[in-house]
Amino acid sequence: MAKRIAIVEDEAAIRDNYVAAFKREGYGVDAYDSRKPAMQAFAARLPDLVVIDINLRDDVEGGFELCRALRAQAPELPIIFLTARDSEFDAVSGLRLGADDYLTKDISLPHLMARIAALFRRLEAMQQPQAAESRLTRGDLAIDTERMTVLWQDRPVGLTLTEFWLVHALARYPGHVKNRQQLMDAAQAVLDDNTITSHVKRIRRKFAAIDANFNAIETVYGMGYRWLQ
Amino acid sequence: MNLRRQLLLVSLLTLVLPWAGCQFIRETESALRAGQQQMLAGTARAIADSLAQHEDDFPLRADNDFALGDQLYGHRLEVLPSIDGYFDDWNLSREALRTLRGTDGPIRFAIGLHRQALYLYVEVTDDNVVYAAPGTIAIDERSQSADSVTLVSANPPYLNEAFVFGAEAPGPIISYLRTAFGFAPEATIAAHWQDVPGRGYQVEARIPTGKLGTHLGLVVNNTNDERTTAVRSSSFSARSPGAFVTASDALTAFATEHVQPGMRLTLTDTSGWRLASAGDVRLPARERGGIGMTLVRLAYLSLVEPGQEAVLANPDPSGQERQPFIAEALQGAASVDWFRSADSGDAIVAAAEPVMAGDNIIGALVLQQGTDAILSLRNQGLARLVYVTVIATLVAAIALLGYATWLSRRIRRLSIAAEDALENDALRTTLPSALDRDEVGDLSRSFSFVLRQLGDYNEYLRSLASKLSHELRTPLAIVTSSLENLEHEPLNAASADYAARARDGADRLRRILTAMSEASRVEELMQHAEPDNFDLVAMLRSTVAAYRDVYPARQFDLATELESVAMRGSPELLIQMLDKLVDNATDFSAAGDTIKIELGRETGRLRIAVSNPGPPLPERMRSQLFDSLVSVRSNDGGRHLGLGLYIARLIAEGHGGSISADNIDGGVRFTVLLPQPD
Repeated sequence: MAKRIAIVEDEAAIRDNYVAAFKREGYGVDAYDSRKPAMQAFAARLPDLVVIDINLRDDVEGGFELCRALRAQAPELPIIFLTARDSEFDAVSGLRLGADDYLTKDISLPHLMARIAALFRRLEAMQQPQAAESRLTRGDLAIDTERMTVLWQDRPVGLTLTEFWLVHALARYPGHVKNRQQLMDAAQAVLDDNTITSHVKRIRRKFAAIDANFNAIETVYGMGYRWLQ
Repeated sequence: MNLRRQLLLVSLLTLVLPWAGCQFIRETESALRAGQQQMLAGTARAIADSLAQHEDDFPLRADNDFALGDQLYGHRLEVLPSIDGYFDDWNLSREALRTLRGTDGPIRFAIGLHRQALYLYVEVTDDNVVYAAPGTIAIDERSQSADSVTLVSANPPYLNEAFVFGAEAPGPIISYLRTAFGFAPEATIAAHWQDVPGRGYQVEARIPTGKLGTHLGLVVNNTNDERTTAVRSSSFSARSPGAFVTASDALTAFATEHVQPGMRLTLTDTSGWRLASAGDVRLPARERGGIGMTLVRLAYLSLVEPGQEAVLANPDPSGQERQPFIAEALQGAASVDWFRSADSGDAIVAAAEPVMAGDNIIGALVLQQGTDAILSLRNQGLARLVYVTVIATLVAAIALLGYATWLSRRIRRLSIAAEDALENDALRTTLPSALDRDEVGDLSRSFSFVLRQLGDYNEYLRSLASKLSHELRTPLAIVTSSLENLEHEPLNAASADYAARARDGADRLRRILTAMSEASRVEELMQHAEPDNFDLVAMLRSTVAAYRDVYPARQFDLATELESVAMRGSPELLIQMLDKLVDNATDFSAAGDTIKIELGRETGRLRIAVSNPGPPLPERMRSQLFDSLVSVRSNDGGRHLGLGLYIARLIAEGHGGSISADNIDGGVRFTVLLPQPD
């Protein structure tokens, strides 16, 4: 059965474009232009993935509200923010509400599709027994590439999709410097330097929350980052 | 010229005060003098009125039949002259000598009276003194051919008599009296002939007054040799000489009686001959006191009305008073005049009054007085004026200077504060004098207003980029998503080309938008950044190494003497700042150029400099270089929005530092000063 994606977006042209793209990929799509009809529909039946814009017409923070309500209703439901708001503050707020990814509208359709596919893949992997070949271990780090989960000292690190891909790209070849462009490509996103910096910072903080002495990601000034063994 | 100098110049206007004071003194002096003149004229009239009873003592009337010039005047002599042919012992000035025109030159003579004798002194210019041949002098006719002096005496209507002085040789001579009855030596007359080699001769004689008539005249005969008839020079033009005039005892007594202390009373006949003179104008003794008083006097002299020279007020040495105001009185009009002494500055006022007998003018009365009262008044006044003026000028100048200093300091403080605010971008500070209610306060408020406007504008510019990028992002998303969908539609070759071009354009647009929002991103990061501790030198080495890879067409030279520098801050942001500066440096230099990156310490701060050879920065852009949306690139196809250096500045300032740009020899240097962590 085709997966159903719900998109809540007030800008008709963008919504229609996304709807067309999702349909082309074979997904079922429900499109809503504001919070209320979306909530009503979600109450009746939950989609498999939700793409939400933050700013819904006059409802400036409508996307956040929707995310909070949905997360309360379905803790496992993948939620992606897709918005024109590119500020760090909004991104942090969105992720804190439990969104799986926070994307700006800069993202290209193929990248978006890749992410959505990845999220579905992870969802499926979660429901199946773990396959040994999908594990990548680097010292204290354990990465499950199928489920897209990361363990540090056997404790799970809650990373977003983008963060996961960054960690994966770094840890795959420890000691190799990955420059920003390489990291961008790995994360399937067009990001600027500062966004990468922010992501790396956030990743370090998440690891540091588990292990205060975490210093496996080294900054190579002027070049990029590398994973230390 | 600054405000202080201007106001100091204005304070010079207080010098008008002494000028006004001088005008006042001058006016006062003139008014006082006029008053004194009037009083003096009154006194003169009263005395003249009482003179009417002395009518008989005035010798001559206006209706005389002889020419006025024909009169001779006898000076009253105070000492007894010796008869030696010299004038020195007469105790008269040489100005008392009257002059006749002689054949060889001027003939000078004077007549004096002493006791009961008349004294005659004559000096004759004579190229060739011809003495009478011995024994011939007694023969009247023969004496015609020798040089001689003759005193003609007349007692109208009787015939003239003549006293003839001729000489056979210099020395005491015998004089002869020629009357209608003959020519005979006159024993009562003493005379002396003094030869003056090269000039002529001098004759002095004493004649008892009893021998003389009422009219006297002088005749000089000059001959060049014994055979030539002498040429006659005479003191009178008519047939007979004019009446002899001399001071009148009665009138002198009258004058002495009526004159008041400090005044001089002079009486003249109708021709101005002085009949009596009594009293003296008291001119104070030369100033006591030092140079100060001299200066005061000089100042006074320069400011008072100049008058006729005071010497003119003295009795005329010739015996005839010829001052215009006396002449006026002799015409019947009372008149006044005044004189000023050049060396003391004192004025002498004079009043002349006609003396009347019935309707006839019989003479003139002249009364003169010094101006002591005015003198002391003006001395005190002037001194006080000088002190007051000096004090007033000083006070005014000091007050104005102080005021100007205060005012210009306020204005200077205001302008410095405004410049500081502009330079430090603190456009919302309160400027000095903002609460003052005067024009400086207004100026300060206007400045504040302008600065605030500028601040708002800068704020707007700063947020413009991020606002714009934010607003443009949604329509751009429509374009890109539409294009991406389009790729999945069947397109012919031409359409696919167009779609590809549209993708490229949208891509570029996206990059621009990303760049535009970079500044706000950096600001955000700066707020949330947690400072790291890192080694600045290691960071620079690593970064510069990276630049060598990124820009293979440039040489990079890292110059530092420091081994390691512990730094606290955001290394990513500092690298981003360096990126901007290096990007800028590579843009403005040519392939193969060396970009120099320096690190050093400077007065307790860390100094990072990036310099590159290349064209200098335009001077007018220097201050705006680090502002948002300002670019010195004239045309680079829109790749640069003028945000790079703005971001560099944000990062430098976010670390508590500053950034500046200079033109150096053959290039440009950007300098970042960062505070050194403790």
